[in-house]
Amino acid sequence: MAELAPPERTIRVQYYALLREQAGRSDETLTTGARDPRELYAELRARYPFTLPPEMLRVAINAEFGEWSQPLKAGDAVVFIPPVAGG
Amino acid sequence: MSPFRFSSSALDTLALQREMRDESCGGFASFEGWVRNHNEGHAVTRLEYEAFAELAEKDGSRIVNEAIARFGATRAACVHRVGSLGLGDVAVWVGVSAAHRDEAFRACRVIIDEVKHRLPIWKKEHYVNGDSGWVNCERCAMPGAHTHEHEHEHAHHPHVHVPTPDYSRQIALREVGPEGQARLRSASVLVVGAGGLGVPVLQYLAGAGVGRLSIIDADRLEPSNLHRQTWYALSECGQEKSTLAATRVSALNPEVRVEAHALRLDAHNAERLCAGHDLILDCSDNFTTKFLLNDLALRTGKPVLFASVYQYEGQLQLVRGDDATACLRCVWPEATRDGIVGNCAEAGVLGPVPGVFGSLQALEALKHLLGLPGLKPDEMLIFDLITLSTQRLRARRQPECEAHRRAASSAPLQAPDELEVQFSSLADAASAGFAFVDVRDSREREAEPLPAGALHLPMSKLLTDAATLDLAGRYLLICATGKRSAAAAGLLRSQGFAECRSLRGGLKSLKASA
Repeated sequence: MAELAPPERTIRVQYYALLREQAGRSDETLTTGARDPRELYAELRARYPFTLPPEMLRVAINAEFGEWSQPLKAGDAVVFIPPVAGG
Repeated sequence: MSPFRFSSSALDTLALQREMRDESCGGFASFEGWVRNHNEGHAVTRLEYEAFAELAEKDGSRIVNEAIARFGATRAACVHRVGSLGLGDVAVWVGVSAAHRDEAFRACRVIIDEVKHRLPIWKKEHYVNGDSGWVNCERCAMPGAHTHEHEHEHAHHPHVHVPTPDYSRQIALREVGPEGQARLRSASVLVVGAGGLGVPVLQYLAGAGVGRLSIIDADRLEPSNLHRQTWYALSECGQEKSTLAATRVSALNPEVRVEAHALRLDAHNAERLCAGHDLILDCSDNFTTKFLLNDLALRTGKPVLFASVYQYEGQLQLVRGDDATACLRCVWPEATRDGIVGNCAEAGVLGPVPGVFGSLQALEALKHLLGLPGLKPDEMLIFDLITLSTQRLRARRQPECEAHRRAASSAPLQAPDELEVQFSSLADAASAGFAFVDVRDSREREAEPLPAGALHLPMSKLLTDAATLDLAGRYLLICATGKRSAAAAGLLRSQGFAECRSLRGGLKSLKASA
């Protein structure tokens, strides 16, 4: 039997820098079955032309830099942010 | 007698000298400014001096009294002519008497320089050809500001009064006060980068009266800089930005001691250039410099305030340089390097964006120097200027942070992208996490073997056998003098071996330092 699909959750996502440019938006609220930021980012990569692999980014969950494998909860605010160097 | 006064009639210099007589004085020095017969290629026949007398007398007396106090002179005075003067007439007289000649000479020099520089006095030159022109107040003759104004304009002369720095509007703040102002005056700040971020930073720090500002920037001004670096002029393109910025700082606030360094910060000059500063502001536009400053903060415990912008947003982070709080490397992936996410030139930026972040950086710097609350270590401020939303993201000191580890092992400073790295012993290099790759030929190896575990990859087999190396491996390439290993490291870098480096100076340098 197929593994049970994880429950869908509503999560707020914000994009910064190159990701904002490639997503064409600063933020959105979406319903996702992704269990952690890694899965969420993979899901978003299917939708947006993101060129940066997760190894080049950081993720923050509820205003704290977190891990790619950290479990997501309904209502979490997730930020995907690359380093920038312009001056 | 007022220490500074104007005279509309010819000066009696002997009478003035008699006023300086004092039995306690062993020396008298005087200076006389005369009307000469030419100025900037024009033959001059006579002069007229005009002054904003009320202000000039007050400021002039202050200048003389300051010089008396500063050099311990006994008496000093300055008299300036107004009205019409002929060739050879004495236009200005300064006299100082003091116990010894040194005080007299020095005070005399300072008085005439300050009078010329600070006082609202103008002269109208009448030329042989019948023309005439208002020239001077010395500030008008500063580079870029020189105008040869004509008579009908003099009533609207823009430099009616050249004031001294006045910090009253910030001293009025309870959190600043005279004590805070004194703190700012005794502070020394290094600003790395005089571009989009550096311009507002330097403007506000100079305006606030920070005592010493050092500016590092290797670049020359380009027309494409000006939409965001609005302190500079189109006509100055091609000039060194560090020098232009230093000139602007001095014009804004002559009390600031300013130094310009037209060079790129690197692992070899960083410690020297940062020494003697209380705070470092990263206004650079590349990761190489940012990570170098981060390493320096961790090594020296000197705080660095980082700012970076991208298109319509930016990031601000204070790295305190201790072992307990997050550094730049605790936040950003090891793989971060220039060319991946784009800088202002590659990605574009709207002018006010670095303006906002540079202003925030200046604000945080002043608060830091004044001991006011602000951006905390362990947090990053991100500000999206499209949506105008700010966030403060909490960061943590990562236990496996490479930069913290290097600082603790006191490994030599290195820029992340630098091809060559210096060590004083192979043991140091090993403790910095390097695996050794010996690129010498077999004869050399036998004569002087490297420690066990070193890989052998002679230059002749470098590219064919490179596949045996790990792409992400941290390799130190070694030869006798560092020449072959540098070439080999460059070659491997181009093949994607991002973490390989060459031992600067080779084995010979180790013998020298041993």
